[in-house]
Amino acid sequence: MTFTADDLAELRALLGDDGVLDSEAARFTYEADALTLERALPDVVVLPRSTDEVAALVRWAAARGVPVTPRGAGTGLAGGATPERGGIVLSLNRMDRVLRVDAARLLAWVQPGLVNLHLSAAVAPHGLVFAPDPASQQVSTVGGNVATNAGGPHCLKYGVTFNHVRAATVVLADGAVVTLGGEACDGPASDLLAVVVGSEGTLGIVTEICVRLLPRAEAVKTMLFDYATLGAACRTVSAAIAAGIVPAAMEIMDVHTVAMVEAWLGLGLPTDAGAVLLIEVDGPAAGLDAQAETIARLAHEHGARSARVARDEAERLALWRGRKSAFGAYGRSRSGFYIMDGVVPRSRLAEAMEGITAICAERGLACGHVFHAGDGNFHPHVLFDAEDAAQQARALEASHEILRLCIRMGGTISGEHGVGIEKRPMMAELYAAEDLALMTAVRAAFDPAQRLNPCKIYPGGAGCGEGRAHGRPPAQLGGARAGEGGEGPWI
Amino acid sequence: MDLNAPRAGGSERGAQAAGGAGGADVARHAIGGVAPRRVARPATREEAAGVLREAAREGLAVVPWGGGVALPHEAAPQRYDLALDLGALDRIVAYDPEDLTITAECGVTVAALRAALAAHGQELPLEAPHAARATLGGALAANASGPRRLRFGAPRDRILGARYALGDGTLARSGGSVVKNVAGYGLHRMMCGSRGGLAAIVEASLKLMPAPAARVALVYAADAAALAEAGRWAALPGLEPAALTVAPRDAAPGGAPHGDGFAVTVALEDDAAWVAEQERRVTAALGAPALRLEGAAARALLEDLADLEETPGPRLTFATSGNTPAALVAALGPLAGARLVFHAPAGRLHALGAVADAREAVLALARAGFALLDARGAGEVPPAPAPFAALRALRARVRDAVDPGGRFALGERWVASG
Repeated sequence: MTFTADDLAELRALLGDDGVLDSEAARFTYEADALTLERALPDVVVLPRSTDEVAALVRWAAARGVPVTPRGAGTGLAGGATPERGGIVLSLNRMDRVLRVDAARLLAWVQPGLVNLHLSAAVAPHGLVFAPDPASQQVSTVGGNVATNAGGPHCLKYGVTFNHVRAATVVLADGAVVTLGGEACDGPASDLLAVVVGSEGTLGIVTEICVRLLPRAEAVKTMLFDYATLGAACRTVSAAIAAGIVPAAMEIMDVHTVAMVEAWLGLGLPTDAGAVLLIEVDGPAAGLDAQAETIARLAHEHGARSARVARDEAERLALWRGRKSAFGAYGRSRSGFYIMDGVVPRSRLAEAMEGITAICAERGLACGHVFHAGDGNFHPHVLFDAEDAAQQARALEASHEILRLCIRMGGTISGEHGVGIEKRPMMAELYAAEDLALMTAVRAAFDPAQRLNPCKIYPGGAGCGEGRAHGRPPAQLGGARAGEGGEGPWI
Repeated sequence: MDLNAPRAGGSERGAQAAGGAGGADVARHAIGGVAPRRVARPATREEAAGVLREAAREGLAVVPWGGGVALPHEAAPQRYDLALDLGALDRIVAYDPEDLTITAECGVTVAALRAALAAHGQELPLEAPHAARATLGGALAANASGPRRLRFGAPRDRILGARYALGDGTLARSGGSVVKNVAGYGLHRMMCGSRGGLAAIVEASLKLMPAPAARVALVYAADAAALAEAGRWAALPGLEPAALTVAPRDAAPGGAPHGDGFAVTVALEDDAAWVAEQERRVTAALGAPALRLEGAAARALLEDLADLEETPGPRLTFATSGNTPAALVAALGPLAGARLVFHAPAGRLHALGAVADAREAVLALARAGFALLDARGAGEVPPAPAPFAALRALRARVRDAVDPGGRFALGERWVASG
């Protein structure tokens, strides 16, 4: 599709000159999210400043049958923000304000382009926090978190984004504006809000969000244990849950990941360990030491060789730094890699790790791990030599087999990254045709012409590609690009 | 196929349970005093799907039925041919304590689930009135909650996935049984609160919690003036009590002061050290309680408070973002005459019994920031201000997408709600 000069003039009349970008450079900037394998050029990029402007733009696009792909910060790892059918990329980055903080009622209204960490900073003076903390939180937006129902290390205890959203103002596919939910729990139309969260921008464009806030934990205790084997670290995780402790976070890095992080940052992590396990407990100061002691005892019973306990905030951040730098460490290595986002029941983590190792070994491949162990949500990085096309093809095959393993073990193909384009072909393996038919029928109820973020999540849409997961292997290094700023803490 | 008769080869559970089909059985499944023409009590989800296929062929209007806690008090549907009683689907399908999740069929009672989990030191984060009768499916369909709503989350915060039978007899599912899952739409979350108006939930997976090491309930007597002292209550939300419920004083258990006015219950559940510290801070703010309960007695009180909302008779239910007992003051005048149960942390208010002028009360409460969630047998109430035409049209399209045959009789109500 081509936008005429008249089209662009109309868009500028709606959104202002600086709200419409059509230069080649701008369009290339928005051709992909962090999954750079999947690219498609938008015809134009728009940056509205208000719900009214979003609604006007969506009405304009509806009248012309133009696809609209909403976008936050573009940190997504599944191609959810790639404008597969061209048309308009609608960036919400200029809608980045905290609209209102109601500290007494523990809630805030924000715009979707607000960076996750900026929300936390805005409510910190009130002693409050916004609990969802995807590792991308320095960059990713609250709207993007809502679109993918994002998790993060601390959702083990506090729940995923959905659990922290009370209401949203949503622009529907025809430009109508509705409010779903309310400031009170279970407000009107909360049931529709429950399906819009996590719908990856396919059901509507969220333009204002009422989030639930929590009192900041009085105290926090962070521990790092190292193990001879990955399996032993996994079994400690199950044991803690079985003992009735739900830590704020339980994160594992294996020997490959530790080696990459050490080669880069030299943090003093044990490179001879099969795995390190980071456990954080938080809450009231009273009782926290007892929890930490129980965890330490369980860790040692399950083979922990040593423990490091952060004595202050600086040491805590140092322990977290390795974990949060892991993705960046892979990104700067010479190796190519495919990242997955599988989930299995947490009691079967050790078994899943053995299965993954076997799948890779059969194909002569190595695999690194860094993951949210407490949730059973893992991110295997299947490594390959990008110069070796045959090896890369085997790595792609291995990554599919790993997701099939998750399905067989009663898990799922995405815990927090979303389906986007990347995992679209796997949906037909996870779900029966009847399940997918119902989901796509609901999509059609919201957006009959499938104009909002077309082609995403469900396979087989008209005019959509198949996704490359089953097609040709990508031509570039790595499955995704690491963050260009800082240490690239995307996962 | 005779939907009253157990199917040949059907499981014994269902066959036995279906015994007594006939007048008494249909009467037991009445909604708003109107009995269905027939009752079917399948024993498996495949049988449930078969019943729906048959119902679709015959063009019957169907209402899925759980423990009969809430539905009998609803207004009668326009058409009600068949009660799809799912009480015989009562198996726990999978429960591994290390996963802190459970998958169960929809007919298992909330009390049975609690008992199964208690044996492993875990807790079902789902409150439902009359838990001995309430079923998992019914609690989900009603979006049931109670005093601990804020702590536990709503059913849609806890449900990880579900299987459901659609109006044409198709079995479908969304989500799964693992604690994180963003593959596909959360239709199971949308079906929570649908009262069986979209599909019949036949199985669900839930995220659990460890049982708290300590529980304490502190009960205070309060009159309207005491409720109004905002400063007294201001520190409580930050302490994150498990419950902060205002109820009629005569609903408090034996030993509490009786008579007019209110009983305010502050419940604390956590590890022992923190509960002791919370109790110290609560009593510093509120003084010594009239009654202090621990452990099982505290839990029983919370269950009694959850039961209150399912009192026969008229009921108005509201939601407010006000999260302390002081928020209730604005509602006292307009709701005079009703018995009020207010679960403050989540802002849920039930007004039980007749209100002099329900219409005026609902308008007055809306002005005070209380949104009407549900009105049952309360006479004429103004339509909620929210359903803009666009939202109503969207709900109608979603219902048509999920139940294109309009098989489920309460679907119209789902469209009109919210």
